[in-house]
Amino acid sequence: MTTLELLSEAVASGKSKDAKALVQRALDEGTAPVEIVDRALVPAMASVGEQFKNNLIFVPEMLIAARAMKEAMSLLEPKLLAAGITPKYTAVIGTVQGDLHDIGKNLVAIMWKGANFRVIDLGTNVSPAKFVAAVVEHKAQLVGLSALLTTTMPAIVETVKAIRGGVGQAVKIMVGGAPVTQQFADEIGADGYAPDAGSAVDRAQALVGAA
Amino acid sequence: MKDPGHHMTDDGVHIQWPDGSPELRLPPASPLHGNLAERIARAGRPLNTRCGQRGLCAGCTVELVTGSFHEKNGAVIPAPAAVKACQGDVSAGEGATMVVPIRSLAVHSPQVVSSFKVNIPAAQDPSVPVVAGSRDHGLAIDVGTTTVVVALVDLATGAIVGDASALNRQVEMGDNVLTRIQLAGEQKARIALQDAIVKRTIEPLVREVCSAAGVGPERLAGAVVAGNTTMLHLLTGTDPTPMGVAPFRAPFTDHRILAAGELGMREIPAGAPVHLLPGFSAYVGADLVAGAMCTGLFTEPGPSLLVDIGTNGEIVLCHDGRLLATATAAGPAFEGGRLSNGTRAVAGAVERIAFPDGRFPPAIEVIGGARRAIGICGSGYVDFLGLGRRIGLLTPNGRLNGDAWEALPPEHRHAEGGSRGVVLNPREPATTITEADIAHLLQAKAAIAAGILALLRRAGLAPGDIRRVHLAGGFGLHIDVAHAIGCGLLPGFVPSQVEAVGNTSLGGAWLALVDRGILTEMTAHATAAEIVELNLEPGFEDSFIDQLALP
Ligand code: B12
Repeated sequence: MTTLELLSEAVASGKSKDAKALVQRALDEGTAPVEIVDRALVPAMASVGEQFKNNLIFVPEMLIAARAMKEAMSLLEPKLLAAGITPKYTAVIGTVQGDLHDIGKNLVAIMWKGANFRVIDLGTNVSPAKFVAAVVEHKAQLVGLSALLTTTMPAIVETVKAIRGGVGQAVKIMVGGAPVTQQFADEIGADGYAPDAGSAVDRAQALVGAA
Repeated sequence: MKDPGHHMTDDGVHIQWPDGSPELRLPPASPLHGNLAERIARAGRPLNTRCGQRGLCAGCTVELVTGSFHEKNGAVIPAPAAVKACQGDVSAGEGATMVVPIRSLAVHSPQVVSSFKVNIPAAQDPSVPVVAGSRDHGLAIDVGTTTVVVALVDLATGAIVGDASALNRQVEMGDNVLTRIQLAGEQKARIALQDAIVKRTIEPLVREVCSAAGVGPERLAGAVVAGNTTMLHLLTGTDPTPMGVAPFRAPFTDHRILAAGELGMREIPAGAPVHLLPGFSAYVGADLVAGAMCTGLFTEPGPSLLVDIGTNGEIVLCHDGRLLATATAAGPAFEGGRLSNGTRAVAGAVERIAFPDGRFPPAIEVIGGARRAIGICGSGYVDFLGLGRRIGLLTPNGRLNGDAWEALPPEHRHAEGGSRGVVLNPREPATTITEADIAHLLQAKAAIAAGILALLRRAGLAPGDIRRVHLAGGFGLHIDVAHAIGCGLLPGFVPSQVEAVGNTSLGGAWLALVDRGILTEMTAHATAAEIVELNLEPGFEDSFIDQLALP
C-alpha cells in the first residue's frame, strides 16, 4: 500500500498516532499537502460518513476517526494556509447561545473539512450577532447551528432570524443536534437539517451546489 | 353524557393489554379531540408519555390491529401499524382494536427505593417541633425525577415506621428534567407540574404511609425533602428557566423552610414546617448533599467518592477537606431509553446476564421471576458489556467480534440490513442487543466515566487512591459492581473499593429530620463545594472519546 492509502486507512480506523506519523511520512516523501488532503483525508472521511449512514459504524467509532482526522489536519492546515490554498466553499459553524455541548458540532465541522470546506468554528454559546458577523466577515456560503438541549432550541430560532435579518438568503442555514428534527428545521425556515455528521456532508454539498 | 342519537355499536375502541388485564373500551374518537394517549390516561392507565406528548420518543407506541389512526398532521395510517398514541387518535367514528406493549405503560414497580445505609451517628433532636403524644411523627421525602419515596418517622425514637413510593406523576409531562424545565417556563404548566408532584404524587403517598402505620396525618410535625434542584423548584412552583441555559444558574439552592400550607400539602397540618435541603448547584442537588452526609463522605478519612448514576450522573469527591462536585449527562440508555429492547427495571425486565462456561447461551434472570421477558434493563446491559469483552464477543470499539459472532448458534444471531446483534434467548423476542444499542450504551458509560476521571484529575488523584466509592441510587444497588468496573463505567477501580449504599438521598432527609444539627452542617458543606463544569474542563472531550472504548 502507498503512504496515502495507509494514511487513509489509519484515519478511517481512528489511529491518531499512525495518522500523524503517516502525514509526516507523506510530507517527507514530497507529497504536496493539498494532495494529502484530497487523496487520503477526503476519501477517508467520505468512507467514514458513508459507513455511518449505512449503520456499518456508530458514533463511538466516528468520533475516534474524527479525532485522527483532526490530528492529521493540524499538521497540514498551517502548510495549506502558507501556500495560500483555501477550499472553494466556506462554512461557519457553532453551538447556539445558552448551550455548551460541542462534541457533535465538532464532528460535523471535521466532516465538512474532510469534504473540503473551509470551516470557521465559532465554538459554543455563540450569540446570534456573532454568527451574523462571522458569516459576513468570512463570506460564508453555509452556516451550521447546533443545539443539544431542548431549552436551547429557541436560540436556534433567534439565530436564524438574526441571520436572515442580517444577510437574507445569501447564506444557507443548516441546523442539527439531538433534539432537532427536519420538521423543526422546516418550521423555522432553515435550509437544511441532517441527523448526523455523515449526512450533514451530503446536505451541505447539495446546498452550496458542490455536489 | 352520551349523545342520544349515537348508538353504541361495535364502533368503540378496544384496547388490550398483554399483562392479561381486562380490555379497556373507549368510545369512538371525535374529530375534535385527537389525542389517544390522553384518553387512555383519563381511563386510568397512563401511557409512557415521557417526551411530554411531543412525539419525540416512542414511549406511548401502541400496536394498531384493526381500524386506522389519524395523526395530528393529517396522515391516516391503516392497521396493522405501530403508532404513537400522543400524535393523534383513531379515525373519528370508526372502530379499532389495539394492543399496548407493556413497555408503553407508565408502570412502576417499587424497587428497593427506601433502603439506605447511614454511616454517621445522629442525635435525637428533630428539626420539626415535636409535641409528645400528639405531634410526634415526621416525613422524610425523596423527590426523584422518576421516583418519589415518602418515609414516616416516629420522632420519639427516630425509627422509620413505614414507607411508600410511586412514580413521579410529572413523568407524564416529560421524562427528563430539561423537558420539565422547558415546560415550567409557562405559568400554567408550572402549576400543573406542581400539582402533579404535590397533589398527585406526594399526597397519596402520605395518606398511604400514614394509614398503613395507623398514624393520623394530624400527628405529623413536619417534613424534610431531598431531591434534585429542578424537583425542588417544581415542588415550590419556582420558575426554573435559568437552569435550562448556560450558565445554568439555579434560582435557589439554599436550605429553605416553608409551611406545609404554603406548598399546598393538604395532608400535613398547614403550619407544620417543610424543610427543603440545600443543594450544591443546578445539576448537583440536595439529593447529593443528603447522600454525601448520609454516607459519611464529609467526615470519613478520604479520599472518597459519591457516585449516583442516573440520566444525569452526579459525582462528589472529598479529599483533604476539599470538596468537588460535578454532573455529567449520561442520557436515558441505562434506563433502557433508545435501545431496541431497553426497559426500566420493572417486572419482566432482564436484570442479570451471565455466561456459564464463558459462552452462549447466556443465563438470564428476569425481575419478578416473570415467565416472559419484556426487555432488558440497565443492570443487564452492564453485565453484557462487562462480560462481552471477557468472553471475546465484543471488540474494544463495542462491535461484535466477527468470528465469535459467526460462531454463535444461528438462533442467537440477529442481523438486519448491515447491522448485527445477539439474541440472548431465542424464545424471548425482547432479548436482542444490537451493535447500535451498544453504541448508545457506550456514550452513556463514557459520560459517567469521563466525569469521574475529570474530578480525580482536578484533585490530582488516580482511581487507586480512592479509599471508598459510595455508589448511590437504585441503579447502584442493582448493578454488578465487578461488571460496572469491567465495562469501564467505574473506570480503573477494583470491586473492594466500591459499596452500593442505596437511596442515600432519602437517608440524608431522614438524618436531617431526626437531627437538626445536620441541617447546618449540610449548608456549610453545600456552600463550600467547588462545582466543576465539565464543558469547561480541558481534556473532557478527549477523555469522553477515550472512555467510549471497552477496557
Ligand atoms: C457528552 C454530553 C455532555 C457533556 C458535554 C461535553 C461537550 N463538550 O460537549 C457534559 C457532561 C459536559 C454535558 C453536560 C450537560 N448536559 Co449533556 N449530554 C452529553 C451526552 C452524553 C452525549 C452528547 C454527545 O456529545 N453525543 C455525541 C455526538 C456525536 O452526538 P450529537 O451531539 O447528537 O451530534 C450528532 C448529531 O446530533 C448531529 N449534529 C450535531 N450538531 C449538528 C449541527 C449541524 C449543523 C448538523 C447538520 C448536525 C449536527 O451530528 C452529530 C454527529 O453525528 C448526551 C446524552 C446522549 N447520549 O446523547 C447528554 C445530553 C445532551 N445532555 C443533557 C443535559 C441536560 C446536560 C446538562 C444541561 C445537565 C447535565 N449535567 O446533565 C449539562 C450542562 C450542559 C452544558 N454545560 O452545556 C441532556 C439533554 C436533555 C434535553 N432534553 O435537552 C442529554 C440528552 C442527556 C440527558 N440527561 O438526557 N453533557
